[in-house]
Amino acid sequence: MTYWFRQHRYALAAALVHLRRSPGGFLFNILVVAIALALPFLGVTLLDNVRPMSESLSVDPEISVFLKQDTPREQAEGLAVLLRQTVKDKQARIIFTPREKAFDNLKDKNGLADVLATLGDNPLPDSYVLKLDAFRNAQAGGDVDALAEQIRQLPGVDTVQVDSAWVKRLAALLNILRLALLLLAATLGTVVVAVIFNTIRLQVMTQREEILVSKLIGATDSFIHRPFYYTGALLGLCAGALALGAVTLALRPLNTAIAEFAKLYASEFQLAPLPTLAVAGLLALSAGLGLIGARLSVKRHTARLN
Amino acid sequence: MIEFRNVSKHYSSDVTALRDVSFTVNKGELVFLAGPSGAGKSTLMKMIAAMERPSAGQVIVNGQDISRIKPVAVPFLRRNLGLIFQQQRLLTDRTVLANVMLPLLVTGAAHSQAEQRARAALDKVGLGDRAGAQPLALSGGEQQRVSIARAIVNRPQVILADEPTANLDRASANKVLDALKAFNSVGVTCLISSHDEVMLDAAARVIHLNQGQVEVQS
Repeated sequence: MTYWFRQHRYALAAALVHLRRSPGGFLFNILVVAIALALPFLGVTLLDNVRPMSESLSVDPEISVFLKQDTPREQAEGLAVLLRQTVKDKQARIIFTPREKAFDNLKDKNGLADVLATLGDNPLPDSYVLKLDAFRNAQAGGDVDALAEQIRQLPGVDTVQVDSAWVKRLAALLNILRLALLLLAATLGTVVVAVIFNTIRLQVMTQREEILVSKLIGATDSFIHRPFYYTGALLGLCAGALALGAVTLALRPLNTAIAEFAKLYASEFQLAPLPTLAVAGLLALSAGLGLIGARLSVKRHTARLN
Repeated sequence: MIEFRNVSKHYSSDVTALRDVSFTVNKGELVFLAGPSGAGKSTLMKMIAAMERPSAGQVIVNGQDISRIKPVAVPFLRRNLGLIFQQQRLLTDRTVLANVMLPLLVTGAAHSQAEQRARAALDKVGLGDRAGAQPLALSGGEQQRVSIARAIVNRPQVILADEPTANLDRASANKVLDALKAFNSVGVTCLISSHDEVMLDAAARVIHLNQGQVEVQS
């Protein structure tokens, strides 16, 4: 363990010594890698903020059926049988809400008792809510639309409203965005690996004599490669930290713009920085990309020195 | 300790560096390799350090057959060899002390222990007071003695010196030779390639190479 620790301490020290010799080049490389990382990190931050919102919304389709005002109560209640027949083999819960109950709910929920009292008569119709099983694809979504059309033809039905379809569309959109982000991250991750690969290649060339002498005095490949691995990982780590810092700073102007938009929907939605665990994960990923680039480069270029 | 058995080395069909070379260097011997440029001295030295593989025959070093040694075992073989080159190959971006410490750090020695032994090695070659200097601030002879210190700091069983005095004046060459003889006197096997007549005249054993073949052993 002491031997292992000593070897790694030596490698880290050697990496830092070499970085200190050309700080300008190192900082420039950090900047380049950070720019490549910043975009996917911003995407991750946006998705991380939007995801809880979309997940909290129901994606189970609901069909609200509003009956005509003059529909007798018996006919309204009897409509449940017709609805059940229309739904057929689909799993659905059918909930009848009498107009009186709907009126009471409205008063309780929205604190509009005074306003509603001025209306005199209850303006709300009897209604049904059909809660269907979640649909997972566009075909199933189409089925729900067809079902709504059939219900619209039933006697006494005034309006049919398919709720939560927009939520499903949002979820689908988020899935597309997630996939796009993944592709972007993969592309820019490759760019990061390539930049670090080239940085380490140049460093191997610069330290050519040191590598050759080390080989001649009995250094193992691991001993020779290790400082380059640390350099790559440090480069990735610093660039990752810089990219995350830039994204956090970018949230301020974004939040200012979002606040105005959200106000239109009576929302206080704001983009928050990523949680600590996610930050740690992204930093580890950045360091990992640096390590991969360094590993590929060192193996290839030190082998050529042989 | 070092044994060549019918060793040949062909770089291509028409370039042959060694041809059926056989000899033995016993433990504790001081042996010189002599011969003109292109005689195969450097190739022979490189084979002992596993920098080259023989095309035919066997090279046995410390009981290990170099022609069959696995790449991962090469560093451990070299830790028992002290290599000295005509061009000293000191790292100019670090001090003399750091250069001499390197073979110990490579083996995982503690920094304090490596420093202590490196200073002792520098003392042995008479450069204890130049530990903090940069290699380029030293004369050619001093640089060569630093490379000797680097070669012996790991207490190797064999020292291989390839033309160690080639670029030195007589006084510096004598100091280098004295240093090598001092290590040989405590049991370190030394194989030195040279075409320095003065050195060869003083040698107990000389292997003469010519056109890749052993011409004379005296």
